[in-house]
Amino acid sequence: MTNKTNPLCPSRINFSELLARVENDRELLSDLLSIFKKEFPAYVKSLREAVVRNNVDEVASVSHTLKGMLSNLAAAGASASVARLEQLARQGEIALLHDALLAFERDVDGLLPELETHIAGARP
Amino acid sequence: MKILIADDDAVSRRLLERTLVRAGYDVTPVADGRQAVARLTEPDGPRLALLDWMMPEIDGPGVCCEIRKRRDHNYVYMILLTSRESKEDVVAGLESGADDYLIKPFIADELKARLRTGERILHLEDRLVEAREQMRFKATHDHLTSLWNRGVIVDLLRRELIRSQRENVCTAIILGDVDHFKNINDTYGHLVGDQVLREIARRLLLAVRSYDFVGRYGGEEFLTVLNNCRPDSALPRAEEIRKAICVRPVHTDAGPLSVSMSLGVLLSRDWGQRPPEELINEVDAALYSAKAEGRNRVKLAKPAERAEPVTAAQALAERLR
Repeated sequence: MTNKTNPLCPSRINFSELLARVENDRELLSDLLSIFKKEFPAYVKSLREAVVRNNVDEVASVSHTLKGMLSNLAAAGASASVARLEQLARQGEIALLHDALLAFERDVDGLLPELETHIAGARP
Repeated sequence: MKILIADDDAVSRRLLERTLVRAGYDVTPVADGRQAVARLTEPDGPRLALLDWMMPEIDGPGVCCEIRKRRDHNYVYMILLTSRESKEDVVAGLESGADDYLIKPFIADELKARLRTGERILHLEDRLVEAREQMRFKATHDHLTSLWNRGVIVDLLRRELIRSQRENVCTAIILGDVDHFKNINDTYGHLVGDQVLREIARRLLLAVRSYDFVGRYGGEEFLTVLNNCRPDSALPRAEEIRKAICVRPVHTDAGPLSVSMSLGVLLSRDWGQRPPEELINEVDAALYSAKAEGRNRVKLAKPAERAEPVTAAQALAERLR
């Protein structure tokens, strides 16, 4: 993952949707970001390891949690790509998991800094 | 209102918690299904629950099944909140016992509206339970005194006699009748008579232990069952009851009225295995003797001392006298 937000790339987060979701509560937004920063890397690590081990149950379970987490943060693209991973895992499509994981990693690349930028800009 | 949130995703949990606290709920967040079951089955636990589907230990539908199995608890209104959105999942979720199903990510206003629906249903359930309890009370209690009614007190006596036989202990049966009650009714009217009966019921309850039974047996007759009563303490306890009734006048709309009670006492161990109705007849005869000897006194029913049978007509005549 890169650490910079590319202004030419389309946004990974629908920020107005995210603000509506937290009912315009900036403090809550900061809380969610803190939790996400702490939890997200560990989940992604677990997901990678599960894909390497072809453990479809684990892939499905971790993907499902990430899907919920990302959809709550209005990261629709990343949420959709991890949903595909979950679906493939449930169908036992082991051969397709690796490519789906790469697609997911592309979608979340830069997500964290983009969130931070948005939230920093949104602070009163 | 208390609400439980069960979700292993910390982002979702925090988002829900804040949303619901802002909406005025008292929120209990947990991270797995086992904790959810534990909290929901605590006495006075939350009766509203938002459950994620996939969770460690027990999943959301598993929590619903566990809670629905426990029929002795208050109803818990459960909403599955999940990103599993297929029709099959919705059906399976509701079949597991969930009341509602919401897809993640949730919309705050929709979530709150659905929770209000849940609250309405819980409120309705509370009213139904309250109505049922009122009906149960009316069916088992005397409407005037709120003591056990005749059917229930005799049934309680029957059970207590069986238990005392099994455990080889003694049950004391005390039948009390308000002295000259007809005079009170005739002189001051039935409303004053009712006030007297209510006060006597109150004094009777105060004079016995919390686990003894007191019921209104007839018009001004009261049946008291002293459980596991030492034979040598039955008469002193009946005396205490007698004194509790006449210790001070009863305050009524017609002014303070002096009242007293005659009591018959019977010890179950003196009479072998006899049905409650027979024992009540025997204690009624002792009560008759107490009346005949001048009222406001206690008489013990003794099997050997029954010289002549007392007819119902004689007992009635004595009481009305």
